[in-house]
Amino acid sequence: MNRLIPWLLLCLGALLSAAPGAAFGQTPEADPAAIVQKFGGKQSFDATEAVVSELAATGDERVARALRALRDGDLYWRKSDEKVFVATRKGDDYEIFDPLSGDSAGTVAKGDLEKVRVKNSIRNAVTGALGTLTLRADNPAQRMRAADTLFSEGDPEMVAPLDAAIAAETDPAVKTRMQEARASAVLVSDRPAEEKAAAAKVLAARGDRESLNKLTAFAAATGDAAAKKAAESAIAAIESNIAFWNQAQNVWYGLSLGSVLLLAAIGLAITFGVMGVINMAHGEMVMLGAYTTFVVQEVIRANAPGLFEFSLAIALPLAFLVSGAVGLVMERFLIRFLYGRPLETLLATFGVSLILQQAVRTIFGPSNRQVGNPDFMSGAFDVGLMSVTWNRLWIIVFALVVFAALLLVLNRTPLGLQMRAVTQNRRMAAAMGIRTPWVDALTFALGSGIAGIAGVALSQIDNVSPNLGQGYIIDSFMVVVFGGVGNLWGTLVGAMTLGIVNKFLEPFAGAVLGKIVVLVLIILFIQKRPRGLFAQKGRFVDA
Amino acid sequence: MNSAIRWMQKTAAAATIAAFGVSGALAADAKPSGEPIKVGILHSLSGTMAISETTLKDAMLMLIDEQNKKGGLLGRPLEPVVVDPASDWPLFAEKARELISQDKVAVVFGCWTSVSRKSVLPVFKELDSILFYPVQYEGEESERNVFYTGAAPNQQAIPAVDYLMGEGVKRWVLEGTDYVYPRTTNKILEQYLKDKGVPAEDIIVNYTPFGFSDWQTEVSKIKEFGSTGKKTAVVSTINGDANVPFYKELANQGIKATDIPVVAFSVGEEELAGIDTGPLVGHLAAWNYFESVDTPENQDFIKKWHAFIGNDKRVTNDPMEAHYIGFNMWVKAVEKAGTTDPDAVIAALPGTEQANLTGGTSKMLPNHHITKPVLIGEINEDGQFDVVSETDDLVPGDAWSDFLPESKKLEADWVDLKCGNYDTEAKKCLGDTMKSN
Amino acid sequence: MILARFLGPRVFILVAIVLAAAILVPASNLLLPASHPLHVPSYLVPLFGKYVCYALLALALDLVWGYVGILSLGHGAFFALGGYAMGMYLMRQIGPRGVYGNPILPDFMVFLNWKELPWYWTGFDQFWFACLMVVLVPGLLAFVFGFFAFRSRVTGVYLSIITQAMTYALLLAFFRNDMGFGGNNGLTDFKDILGFPIQAGSTRAGLFAASCVALAIAVLFVGWITRSKLGKLMIAVRDAESRTRFIGWRPEYVKLFAFTVSAVMAGIAGALYVPQVGIINPGEFAPVNSIEVVVWAAVGGRGTLIGPVLGALLVNYGKTVFTAVLPEFWLFMLGGLFVFVTLVLPRGIVGTIDHGFDAFRATRRARAAEKGEAGGQDAVPNPAE
Repeated sequence: MNRLIPWLLLCLGALLSAAPGAAFGQTPEADPAAIVQKFGGKQSFDATEAVVSELAATGDERVARALRALRDGDLYWRKSDEKVFVATRKGDDYEIFDPLSGDSAGTVAKGDLEKVRVKNSIRNAVTGALGTLTLRADNPAQRMRAADTLFSEGDPEMVAPLDAAIAAETDPAVKTRMQEARASAVLVSDRPAEEKAAAAKVLAARGDRESLNKLTAFAAATGDAAAKKAAESAIAAIESNIAFWNQAQNVWYGLSLGSVLLLAAIGLAITFGVMGVINMAHGEMVMLGAYTTFVVQEVIRANAPGLFEFSLAIALPLAFLVSGAVGLVMERFLIRFLYGRPLETLLATFGVSLILQQAVRTIFGPSNRQVGNPDFMSGAFDVGLMSVTWNRLWIIVFALVVFAALLLVLNRTPLGLQMRAVTQNRRMAAAMGIRTPWVDALTFALGSGIAGIAGVALSQIDNVSPNLGQGYIIDSFMVVVFGGVGNLWGTLVGAMTLGIVNKFLEPFAGAVLGKIVVLVLIILFIQKRPRGLFAQKGRFVDA
Repeated sequence: MNSAIRWMQKTAAAATIAAFGVSGALAADAKPSGEPIKVGILHSLSGTMAISETTLKDAMLMLIDEQNKKGGLLGRPLEPVVVDPASDWPLFAEKARELISQDKVAVVFGCWTSVSRKSVLPVFKELDSILFYPVQYEGEESERNVFYTGAAPNQQAIPAVDYLMGEGVKRWVLEGTDYVYPRTTNKILEQYLKDKGVPAEDIIVNYTPFGFSDWQTEVSKIKEFGSTGKKTAVVSTINGDANVPFYKELANQGIKATDIPVVAFSVGEEELAGIDTGPLVGHLAAWNYFESVDTPENQDFIKKWHAFIGNDKRVTNDPMEAHYIGFNMWVKAVEKAGTTDPDAVIAALPGTEQANLTGGTSKMLPNHHITKPVLIGEINEDGQFDVVSETDDLVPGDAWSDFLPESKKLEADWVDLKCGNYDTEAKKCLGDTMKSN
Repeated sequence: MILARFLGPRVFILVAIVLAAAILVPASNLLLPASHPLHVPSYLVPLFGKYVCYALLALALDLVWGYVGILSLGHGAFFALGGYAMGMYLMRQIGPRGVYGNPILPDFMVFLNWKELPWYWTGFDQFWFACLMVVLVPGLLAFVFGFFAFRSRVTGVYLSIITQAMTYALLLAFFRNDMGFGGNNGLTDFKDILGFPIQAGSTRAGLFAASCVALAIAVLFVGWITRSKLGKLMIAVRDAESRTRFIGWRPEYVKLFAFTVSAVMAGIAGALYVPQVGIINPGEFAPVNSIEVVVWAAVGGRGTLIGPVLGALLVNYGKTVFTAVLPEFWLFMLGGLFVFVTLVLPRGIVGTIDHGFDAFRATRRARAAEKGEAGGQDAVPNPAE
């Protein structure tokens, strides 16, 4: 599905611009249709790359289709006559199209076609060629991409074509990018120094790392004092800008790590924090949630590929039910015999965790399972100089929503009221007519179910393997204990604090030392506040 | 009190009976066509390494099954003995001892991590048995009792770096998990790159812990390092579990293979099975085998594997091929020696040739490493690799790297020199690796 | 016999069995021919030795958990530290026999280009110094850690979790190759100890005997402590810490004492373990290992002297057997065992047997009293006591 969308867009774009438009640098004798056929037959990568530059040299906009197909691995040649086609999968066969016009040429069996082999350097050559070809494309997104490619390349030859493109450009955002691309080209050209100083200002306004590198190179190379000064002040401005965004990025990464910790720990905050069960099988509940996501996606892939975007939404309630049910069974058949003996729950749940791990290993096999990211979870966008990935953003949002929902359940529903009553004073609650065993079972199931939900989220960023839970169990306990057992707010603050501290330590201490320092800090912190950040108060605390 | 004593005595007696009963039960499972030859399989089936090693256990069972269909070995059936060392390194040593002393296996195929190999080494030396080790590793070792069928650094890392240099890469990120294989490989590569004229400021080396899952900071560091305009590549020696989150983060932060390619030495078909490879197309791996290699031997192997495991989607990978080569070499050596006696087989193994699955013929060298082709592959959308480069000849495995100051002068030769670490300057065998027999 | 009366006959028998094993197992291994039915095969000697070290570790944990009520989830750290101290001695004993022939540096330092031995490796070429460190390093760590933790009155699960944090931090630290302890590979390929080749059967037998003797001494020592006045105080702290404090004792010192002694015992267990298994690596610091130790003690029965020893032997023996016989399913067995023990034998094996005896004796006495005379109410013990 993913593969098809850009392709369709591309067809559309190409159809619209099918009329041979005004192209620059066109050599009349080169016939693109003949050149593109040179892709056919087994050949070396170098030969393929040569054909790419030959095609690009024609300057004919129609070759963009063939080039893009080549880059995306959709360009094939027919074994019988070595004719080149663009092909897309259609059922078990392939539908083939003319590489330039895009007209359909029927369907062929998979075995009749051979893919034109590409590698990274060829993809790069194609991207470069497309950059010049699509500067005047009708689709603004394509023009934007072309401008960005040209910006990175900084080719002095491109100043003139860029000037022409800027003059014709109507979209202000694309225009800015083109101007930046022009500035980048001007810096390395042999144009007058004043023009270069102006270009330096344009790059300073852009203010990202790439601009910084270009300016640094320029400042080192230029002989003109004024231009050098302009470049240096631009560099200083960008550097302070970058320093600021670095801190912002650390906070963001910290929040993101914190939200992962929060998700992993929040179920434990119920089973361990509220109920006092040292639940070593908590990680396995998270794992079950992740495997539920896997199963849901498998079923969707097999039966209703259109629903893939909704796979996570479907998996969420199911994961809650699966983990919750396992939790319920555990409570009914095991934990309920162990209340008041918290340390023995450690032993029993450790046994359960071994059994669950091995069960999953037996059923699903020991290797990682593939859980795909739906489109809304993929990719990133820029905020200033910080790139924010969608999956991290959604996970933060999701963690907070789960947290809020749990707070609501605990504080605003009859079940929550009963849960709090039972944990605060079991006998009194029983005397008031609350069915404490029932409440216990539901509380444990709730905690486990939430762990399952966390598993759905974690399946988006981590391995889905039988060891998934093991990776989070220790961190989860740290978070709950650091925040204060029995306090949800403590878990929230604890998770976010640990996340941010970790991410601020990581850049200079390294990932390993950073984590060690965090652990030592937790140990020291507990000395200071033996009951965590938000200590529970009351007469039953010591019991 | 008396009853307590009696109870304890009884338990002790029962325990002793059980201890010997176990070996008896295993031995009793003999087939009619003569005394079986036992083959030990020492791969973790639980714990952190089960993810990689379980497949190798299945591959071994398949190879043994195939051999039995062909009539066994020396007219006797082969019998696999599977144990689970549970990713617990001391347990590897214990299980190795058990396989050799108690089960009396003729040979052991096993281990994945370097530490598990290091843990069992003394056992194999002491009890004089044979271990076939199928995984790419850091080198710096050659033991009389061990045959290394995986790649040494010169059969994987250096050709991969050569390839990237040919592609115009000027800046290098050496990213690895903090353990001995990445440390050694990166030491070798750093020296190699510097010898090739790469300035120090164009190389960064970074280590992360096992199972690392939060790659945000590291990946943005790579992005920053690669934004200077010079072509940058990442050489990844990141270990199994940490790879999936690493690649997911790369994809999400929009680092494409065309901008900053990642070449990995521990990511194969099996690891890719856990990732959506769409965004990873073009990232690279260097191995001695890819499932996508189109040779009749490989097609045959894949077909048999699918039939054996009963699942058409299970992939094959490089360490499986290493076991394939190793197992067949062992069979040939036993046939040549006419016995499974370790000393005779160890003597017969060097020089043994076996067709590998990529169209060449691998040979066991006197240093107990083998010759292998080096393939560089780009990840494609099907979770497979498209081979983009291949060495012209098979590369002989080098036990002692030429790029580490202390090991430059060492040489391993178990045929003429009878030494795993012969000092070519001092003209003597170092340490006590030398065995008198 | 005084000892027997002081510790109870069962403990006496345990000590006797352990000491007998110390003599009989090596003797049968070395003296009897391999064909003899009572011959202990060579591969079993280090295996048994490993079990005995685990038993010592479980006993150490039992001292703090069973008798003082501190659930340490970090005892594996003390065990591993003791092991590393011994491992460093064994590493230095390799001398020029390493693969690079470097007389001073261990192999892993040579190929990572270290030029000289880090300062903290000095002295480890002396056996006495290593032995001192085996005791001192875990003891000191436990003392410092315990001093602050108990003074701040960190109790219950909070204490358990920070002990876990401690071992986890050490795990990460020892994994680092920059630490100079061999990183993930740890220390291995030992050659000899005190001049005796480590692979030789007689050395193995000696190490096994030494482990048994250490275990026997530890059982007697823990028995002596727990039955002394200090022991009573420990149990008081376990059962009612606040009350003990209000009476005027300082529970933190009692805890600190037990914690430090226990860490030293764990360190000794580690030191004996390393030469018998032939490797020490950071995996020993893994939190899961420490949890397993807790499980051994719980299976055998905590708060008893025999329980942890028995638990460690049983669980590890089971692990050895099942990983070979049922490699794909042994985790089910092990997990099932833990669940079974907590549900059916909450006091552990020994505790349940004791409890059964007590209940049996109580009913017999009650019955005897009923039969004896109708009005003999006084003879019936009050269950509430």
